[in-house]
Amino acid sequence: MSMDWNSGVWPDWCPGCGNFGIFTAVKGALSELGISREKMVLVSGIGCSGKIPHFVKVPGVHTLHGRAIPFATGIKASNPDLKVIVHGGDGDLLGIGMGHLIAMGRRNPEILVVVHNNGVYGLTKGQASPTLQLGKKTKSLAFPNINSAVNPILLGIASGYTFLARSYAYNIDHLKSCLKQGISHSGAGILEVIQPCPTWNNIVTMDWVEKNTYYLKDWDPVVKDDEDAVKKAQGIIGIESGEKKALGTILIDRRKDPFGKRLASIYKHYAAEPPATQQLEKGGAPLPIDLEKTFQKFYIH
Amino acid sequence: MDLNLIVGGPQGGGIETAGMLAVRALAMHGLEVFADREYHSNIKGKHSYSHIRASYRPINSIKYPVDFVGALDIETIATHYKDLGPGGVLIHDASLLDKTLTKLPPMEKKRLERLKAELEREKIGNTVKELDEWLEKNGRTVLPFPFLGMITEKAKLASPMIEKAMNTAMTTALLRGAGMPLDTILEAIDSLFMEKAEARELNRAVAAAVSDGFDEIAGTKGIGKKGTVGKGPARGKRMLVAGNDAVAIGKLIGGLRLQTYYPITPAADESFVIEQHSNLFGPEGEIVGSPIVIQAEDEISAICMAIGGALTGARAATCTSGPGFSLMVEGIGWAGINEVPVVITYYQRGGPSTGLPTRHSQSDLLFAINSGHGEFQRIVLASGSHEETLDDAVKCMDYAERYQVPVIHLLDKGIANCVTTINPPTLRRIDRGKRILKGVLEYRRFAFDSDPVSPRAFLGEELMWYTGDEHDESGHISEDPENRRRMYEKRMSKMEKILKEAPDGDKAVLFGDDNFEDLLVTWGVTTGAAVDALPELQAAGSKLAVLQVRMIEPFPVDIVSKYVSKAKRVIGLEANYIGQLAELIGWKTGVKVKNRILKYTGRLITQDEVVSAYMRIKGGEERVVLTGGE
Repeated sequence: MSMDWNSGVWPDWCPGCGNFGIFTAVKGALSELGISREKMVLVSGIGCSGKIPHFVKVPGVHTLHGRAIPFATGIKASNPDLKVIVHGGDGDLLGIGMGHLIAMGRRNPEILVVVHNNGVYGLTKGQASPTLQLGKKTKSLAFPNINSAVNPILLGIASGYTFLARSYAYNIDHLKSCLKQGISHSGAGILEVIQPCPTWNNIVTMDWVEKNTYYLKDWDPVVKDDEDAVKKAQGIIGIESGEKKALGTILIDRRKDPFGKRLASIYKHYAAEPPATQQLEKGGAPLPIDLEKTFQKFYIH
Repeated sequence: MDLNLIVGGPQGGGIETAGMLAVRALAMHGLEVFADREYHSNIKGKHSYSHIRASYRPINSIKYPVDFVGALDIETIATHYKDLGPGGVLIHDASLLDKTLTKLPPMEKKRLERLKAELEREKIGNTVKELDEWLEKNGRTVLPFPFLGMITEKAKLASPMIEKAMNTAMTTALLRGAGMPLDTILEAIDSLFMEKAEARELNRAVAAAVSDGFDEIAGTKGIGKKGTVGKGPARGKRMLVAGNDAVAIGKLIGGLRLQTYYPITPAADESFVIEQHSNLFGPEGEIVGSPIVIQAEDEISAICMAIGGALTGARAATCTSGPGFSLMVEGIGWAGINEVPVVITYYQRGGPSTGLPTRHSQSDLLFAINSGHGEFQRIVLASGSHEETLDDAVKCMDYAERYQVPVIHLLDKGIANCVTTINPPTLRRIDRGKRILKGVLEYRRFAFDSDPVSPRAFLGEELMWYTGDEHDESGHISEDPENRRRMYEKRMSKMEKILKEAPDGDKAVLFGDDNFEDLLVTWGVTTGAAVDALPELQAAGSKLAVLQVRMIEPFPVDIVSKYVSKAKRVIGLEANYIGQLAELIGWKTGVKVKNRILKYTGRLITQDEVVSAYMRIKGGEERVVLTGGE
C-alpha cells in the first residue's frame, strides 16, 4: 500500500533522519484517508523538510523559504476541493516565515501545517533554529545559543489556530493518527513533529526524546464553549510550561468558521463556483457581462 | 477651448470630492477631462489639490498656466497664485481677506521661507488682501465669495454641515465662473451622490445657493458671463475613471478570479474597486462571474497567494508599488522558473525606499525588467493612457496564460490617480493558452517540445510537481547539466515566441508624421504630455514625432531600432534621473539617446513643460531637468 505512494524519486535525507518517519506516516495517513490522489496538494518550504512533496505520489508544490503558507492559502482559497497540507521546518515556519504562520491562524483555512522541528538549520550545516533552547550548544555552534526558543503550540493558541497537536517522528502510528486528525479538521492546524537530526543536533537525540516527552492522558482537547475555551487555553499554558514536552492532540476548536466559509459569507457566488472552477467563457464567446450594470458608477451619459 | 483649473485645500477637507464633482460636471457637459490629484502622505491637514483640465479633444496631460484657482484655505492661495495665467481668476472665501499669508503651520519650513522671499521680492505684502490687490494689478481677477453666508442663509445649513459643504460651494463658483450652467452642476451632484440621498440634497442646496449669489459677485467683473465652457459635441457613452479603476475593470473583463494585495499607495484603490464589483452581472441580472479579493499580511504573501491561485487555474493577480514590489521579487522568480501565469500591476511612485509615497515617478523601469536573481522570461507592458491601461489590463491576463510567464503591468502614480474620460470597453474572447488534452498518460508539466510552452494542467487535475529548484519535465528537482541546459533554453526561448507573435501596437506606437527629424521617446503617463504637445510643436515648424515604447520586456528591438536609427536627434522624455528607457534603447539598439528631458520632483510632466524643454534641446541643451508643479 505504502509503496504505491512513493513518487519514485529517491529520498536524499541523511540515514537516520526523522524525515523518514514523517514520510512513512504521511503516506500512511494519505492512503487511509481515501481521498483521490489528484485532490491533494503537499506544499512545502525550503530545507530538508521542503523536499518531502517530491517523494510522495501526490501533487506537490515546493515553494520558497518560509512562504509555503501563502502559496497554500492561495491554492485552498481558489479551489476548496483540494486537501492542502503544508510541510516546513522550524527555521522555515517559525523563523523566516513566522508572519505567515500567525496570519494563517487568523484566517483559519482548512490547512494542516506540519512543523518538522529538529532545532537546527540542517541543510546549511546546523545553525540554531528558533526552537533551540537558550544556552544550548549543538555541535556546529561556536557558542551556546543566546536566543530563547519559541513554542509553536503557544503561538498557535495566540494566533487563533483551531487544531494543535504534537507528535514524534519515530512514533509512526501516533504521528499518522495526528496527521489524519489534522487533515480532517475543518480549520487551521499546527502539528509539531519532534524530529531528531542525527547529523547536526546532538542534543535532541532519540534518547533525549525518550526522557523528555510524555503522551497526554486524560486531556480532552475539544473546546465545548466560550467558557471552556478559556479553561483550555489556561490548561495548555500549564501543559506547555512543564519540563517535558507533551505529545498528543492538544486542541480541537470547532466553533470558528474556516476561511472558506468566511469568504462565502461575503462572496455569494463563492460556494457554488470558487475561482479555480469558474468558466471564463461560455459557448466559445465571452461571458455575457453587462458592463453598464456591473460598472454603473463609472459611466457618463 | 482648453480649460485648466486648480482646486485646493487641506487634506481631508473634501478636496477630493470637490475635484471629482468638477471633473464629473465637465465630463457630463460633453468635454474630455484629465485631472491630476496631488496629495501628501497624510490623512488630514496638509495641502492637497486637483489640477483639472477640460477640452473638446481628447487630452492625456495637464497644462500650465491655469485659468482658475479655487482656494479653500490660505495655503492654497499662497501655493498656487503664481499658477494663474493672464486673465486668470482666483476664488476664495471672503473671510480669508484679512488673514496673514505666511502663518501656515502645515507648510514645510523651507517652502515657507521661499514663499516669504517671493512675497518680499515682488513687494506683494503679507495678507491675502494685499496679494489679491497685487493679482488684480497684474491682470488677474480675484473673487472673494462670502460662502459662509451663502450656505447658512440661502441653503439654511447649520454647523457642522457647513464645513462639509464648503467644497461644493467652491466647485460651484469655479464651474459657474467657467461658464457652466447650474443645471449641469446639479446633474453632476446627482450622479456623484447617486447612493447617498442626504448628501445629495445638501450639496444641491449649496450649489443652488452659491449659483444664486454668483452674478452679484462675479458679474461685475465679467466672469462667467461669456460662457468659457461651451457644451461639448454629442458623444456616445463614456466612462470616467482613475487608473486604479481602469485596471480593476480591465482585470475583471480579462477573467480575474483571485486578486491579492497588501495596502500600499497608490495601488490599494484598485483592490477596493475589484471588491466593490466582485459580482459580474449578466443581462438578466444573474451573476456570471465572481472574483475574490484577499488582503494578505504582506506583499510576499500577496504574490505567493496569487501564484498558488494560478496553479489551481484561477486567473490570479496582485498589485503594488515600489516598496511592495521589492518584497515580491523572490516570488516572481519562483513564478519565472515554474512558468506560472500571474499578473503584477506595478504602480511606480517616488523612490528609493519609502521615497515620495504619494507622488509620481517612472524610476522603476530597469527594476521591473531586471528584478530577481537568475534569468527568466517575463513580460513587462507599460501603458500610456487610461484607455490603454484598461485594455492592457485585459491583455496582461491573456499574455500570462498564453506564454506561462509572470506579467508585470508597469504603470505609475500619474496613471493610478489621474482621472479621465475614456471610451467604454467591450467584451472580448479569453485566451487561456495551451491546456492538457483529456486522458493524458503520465502528465509532465514541463514536457519538452518544439514549443517552449507546455500544455498546462491545473492542480486538482493531474499529478504534477513544482519547485523553485531547477527541475525535470515532471517538476522534480534536477541538477543534471543536460536537463538544466534544455529547461533553461525552454524558458528563455519564449522571448522569440512573444516578440514574433505580439502585435506591433503592443510593442511601440509612433505618434506624428513618419518623416520626422526629431524623435521624442517616452513611455507611461508622460506619453500623454508628449502627444498633447505635438500639434503645437509641429505648428511651430518642428519635424517631430513621439515614439511611445509599450513593451519593455521582451524589448521590441526591431520596431524601436527602425524609428530611432532614422531620427536625426533622439530625445528621451521620462520622469526619472538617468533616463532609464533612453539607457535601455542605447543598450538594445546601439543608438545612443543623447538628449534627455527628465523630471524627478514627484510631479507630472506637463504639456507646456514638454514644449519649453524641447525648444531648449533645439537650442543646444543636451539635458533638461524639469521642476514644475507644487
